[in-house]
Amino acid sequence: MGDSLTIIPLFYSKDSEEKMYECPDYLTSGPNSCYFDKNHTNPWTTYIITVTATNEIGSNSSDPQHVDVTSIVQPDAPVNLSLETNISANLSYLWAKWSPPPLADASSNLHVYHYELRLKPEEKEEWETVSVGMQTHYEVSSLKAGVKYIVQVRCMLDLGEWSEWSSERSIQIPKEQLPPEKPIIIKCRSPEKETFTCWWKPASDGGLLTKHTLLYSKEGEEKVYECPDYKTAGPNSCYFNKKHTSFWTIYNITVRATNEMGSNVSDPHYVDVTYIVQPDPPVNITLELKKSIKRKPYLVLTWSPPPLADVRSGWLTLEYELRLKPEEGEEWETIFVGQQTQCKMFSLNPGKRYIVQIHCKPDHHGLWSEWSPEMYIEIPTDFRVKDMVVWIIVGVLSSLICLIMSWIMIMKGYRMMAFILPPVPGPKIKGIDTHLLETGKSEELLSALGCHGFPPTSDCEELLIEYLEVEDSEDQQLMPSHDTPSKNTKIMLKETDSDSGRGSCDSPSLLPVKCRESRSLPSALQTQDVRAKEKKGGKGSWDTRCMASEQKTLPCESIKTCTWLAAQLPSNQAAMFAYHSTVEAFKITLNTTNVNNSPVLVGNEENRQSLYPIAETVYDDVEKVSEMEYSKTDQTTVQVRQNEHSNKSPFLNPKLMDYVEVHKVRQDEEPTLLLKHKENSGKTKKCTVPGTSKEYTKVSTVVDHHILVLLPDQRSQNTPVSQEPVAETSQNPQQSQAEKNTSYSTTAPSDSRRDTSGSDYMDPSSFMPSFK
Amino acid sequence: PRPDAAAFSAEAVAALALLWLLVCAPGDAGCHPLTVADLFDRVIRHSGRIHSLSTALYEKHFPSRDNELGRPARKCHTSGMLTPNGKEYAQKIPREELTQVILKLLQAWKEPLSHFNQHIEHHQELPDDSLSKAKQISNMVHELKTGVEKVTEKMQSMGIISNSLNGMASSEGTGLSISNEANMMSDSDFIHCFRRDSNKVQSYLKILKCRIMPENSC
Repeated sequence: MGDSLTIIPLFYSKDSEEKMYECPDYLTSGPNSCYFDKNHTNPWTTYIITVTATNEIGSNSSDPQHVDVTSIVQPDAPVNLSLETNISANLSYLWAKWSPPPLADASSNLHVYHYELRLKPEEKEEWETVSVGMQTHYEVSSLKAGVKYIVQVRCMLDLGEWSEWSSERSIQIPKEQLPPEKPIIIKCRSPEKETFTCWWKPASDGGLLTKHTLLYSKEGEEKVYECPDYKTAGPNSCYFNKKHTSFWTIYNITVRATNEMGSNVSDPHYVDVTYIVQPDPPVNITLELKKSIKRKPYLVLTWSPPPLADVRSGWLTLEYELRLKPEEGEEWETIFVGQQTQCKMFSLNPGKRYIVQIHCKPDHHGLWSEWSPEMYIEIPTDFRVKDMVVWIIVGVLSSLICLIMSWIMIMKGYRMMAFILPPVPGPKIKGIDTHLLETGKSEELLSALGCHGFPPTSDCEELLIEYLEVEDSEDQQLMPSHDTPSKNTKIMLKETDSDSGRGSCDSPSLLPVKCRESRSLPSALQTQDVRAKEKKGGKGSWDTRCMASEQKTLPCESIKTCTWLAAQLPSNQAAMFAYHSTVEAFKITLNTTNVNNSPVLVGNEENRQSLYPIAETVYDDVEKVSEMEYSKTDQTTVQVRQNEHSNKSPFLNPKLMDYVEVHKVRQDEEPTLLLKHKENSGKTKKCTVPGTSKEYTKVSTVVDHHILVLLPDQRSQNTPVSQEPVAETSQNPQQSQAEKNTSYSTTAPSDSRRDTSGSDYMDPSSFMPSFK
Repeated sequence: PRPDAAAFSAEAVAALALLWLLVCAPGDAGCHPLTVADLFDRVIRHSGRIHSLSTALYEKHFPSRDNELGRPARKCHTSGMLTPNGKEYAQKIPREELTQVILKLLQAWKEPLSHFNQHIEHHQELPDDSLSKAKQISNMVHELKTGVEKVTEKMQSMGIISNSLNGMASSEGTGLSISNEANMMSDSDFIHCFRRDSNKVQSYLKILKCRIMPENSC
């Protein structure tokens, strides 16, 4: 466009004429327009119009536009659109009327318009268009009741364009009109037994205005009254004041709903005011904390009846109920209080918060009121100084105890560890006693290395007990398989408990094991037999079987007696030979103080190997002792002392064993067999009697030439020990002295233990009773 | 509503109490003279028990307790009696009259109760416990009447109320009870009417007591 006012001329020509005319009027219709007035407008002509734009540089023309006047006629929209609804016979009609668009010229009456109508519900988007024809009115049916519709019309001349749509008109289709539904009476209530109120639920609206009325009659009367007061109690209610309330009469109450289309009555509701009393909740709830004599606080809750209830005249009697729960709790505890207006609560925990509520009801038929608003109770915690002191003392004491315990643990931890996890004994080399090496007693070593004791040679055979039987059966004693010259030793086979470091005095496994053994069949016994065979000389094997005491009950305890030298074998099932004292006595006589007087340990067959040396040495000892014995009178007592074993004996758990010190047999003195328990310090063993040594100083008897009965040393022990042969004797004092788990086995043989099966030595377990 | 067992045992106690009432005359050696307040408490409690029993009987008989539907046209034989139908009236009428109303009511039920007892034994309508309840009620009403009479006497002796109206009570009562109406009531009506009248009696007694002795737990 040029910036200057460029007049764009419009040129037109008619039909197929050549002549070009210019626009007659550029102004009337505004800028960029051309108005052809009547004179220039011919409906029958086709105009060809072009517009040319020119500026300094050049000019340009539009495409020619062919215009047929009749085809560009667009009337104005119709006017005066009016709508009416008509409801007849349950159908709604919409009646629409309008006027054609106004024209300046009166001659426009000749024009015949075509009309079109469209309508839609107000909320919808889509129009429904109806062609009306040439009328200026239209009737629409099939409309939805209760919907607001919007209507528009437009018109058109024959061949022209449609006019614009007229402005909108809307109309609401009314709902179907019905008489109201039945109202419902909800409830009637009296708060104080003097007035009452009834509430109803209104009928659903037909869209029309509905009015409700309440009517009632009394029992025995015909007259019907209307509600005296619709307002006091709110909408849809009726309030009967004192004057209108009668008791012990039944009211017949109904509600009627009325609208333009009709009315409807609710079902009758029968009411006797006496029975519809529902009071208000109690008020003035107060709490008071009181202290009883024992300084336990309790709570006194008091309240007042609701203000409206006339309790003073006796007309209305209320009963109360309260409920209680801890603040975080779920369940309420309900307490019926009766007619009193206070309650004492004793069972509340100090420091906790509680919620309490009260409600009431008339004492006869009636309804519970609403719960009063929640009331919070908090009992103050009452820390008395005394309580605190007690707790402090308790705390201090327990911490002290803990300290002590831990100290003990630390101190004795080593032993405890050994107790719990016994060290694995090292291997024992046959014939080498590391203890010997360590003690440096060369002569002993040499002797050990020499042929005398070690390894056993044929020289020693005679001393050897070829065959040792330890039988685990009743009434059996250790029996030598061979008939060595009455040198049989009885060796106790003891089974140690797996963790015994306790010297197996009180090895629990012994007990049952022994019991088991005692009860087991001989065949079973066989399995438990531990056979240790001599390597040398085929002297036979020691059959070691665990000796069962003759008495059934005893075996269990005899174990304890057997295992006075508790030996911890690496194998849990190792049977241990308990050294019979006599055996040791023999050893002593051999003057092998350095002997490995460890108890003869005969383990399981697996461990057989390791036991040989000891056994062999024992043999020596035994032989010698037995020799000695043999030569002696019955009352010979042999003092046998055993060397103290070092803790390093592989067969012994050094920490756990009782080490018995065996002193030499003294010929000069009264021979005593001294078996000392040497208690390792720091070790807690049940068996040990701390500080005391049990010295078996006396062999009380030799029974049957093969039973050596030892008695503890009277001097070294507190209680006198009788020296009765065989049976009874020192049992009792021994008993009392010996701890239950003492593994010393020296006593007089029990009565029952008179087995002449050829065994030399009495199974100490036979001396059982003494060690109970 | 109290459990029945408790009610029965309680009423046994009450029966004894009332008996004591009869046995102990003022001035007897060894008896503590009962005050009017005590007497009133006892009769009120007794009337409460009667009302509870009658309510229990009623609820058994009319399980659908939807506001006594259906049959408003119940005619009680005591309907003709002029009784105060609200608190104000009960407080306004003279004490003597109130006392008399109570006695009249109790008297009016005497015969219908015995009649009812005979009647229900032959009828199997009611369940067993209702049967026993009904029998109990008859005794209890009699006891209550006696108790109220005692209270009345006491009040009269103490000058609380005048002596004027004694004579009239019994005759009117008997007049009512003899009427045919009473004997023609149906079971439902009977139970319904009795429940109501027992409540009346209880309420009147309470009001009377608080009128006479306003300070005692009123």
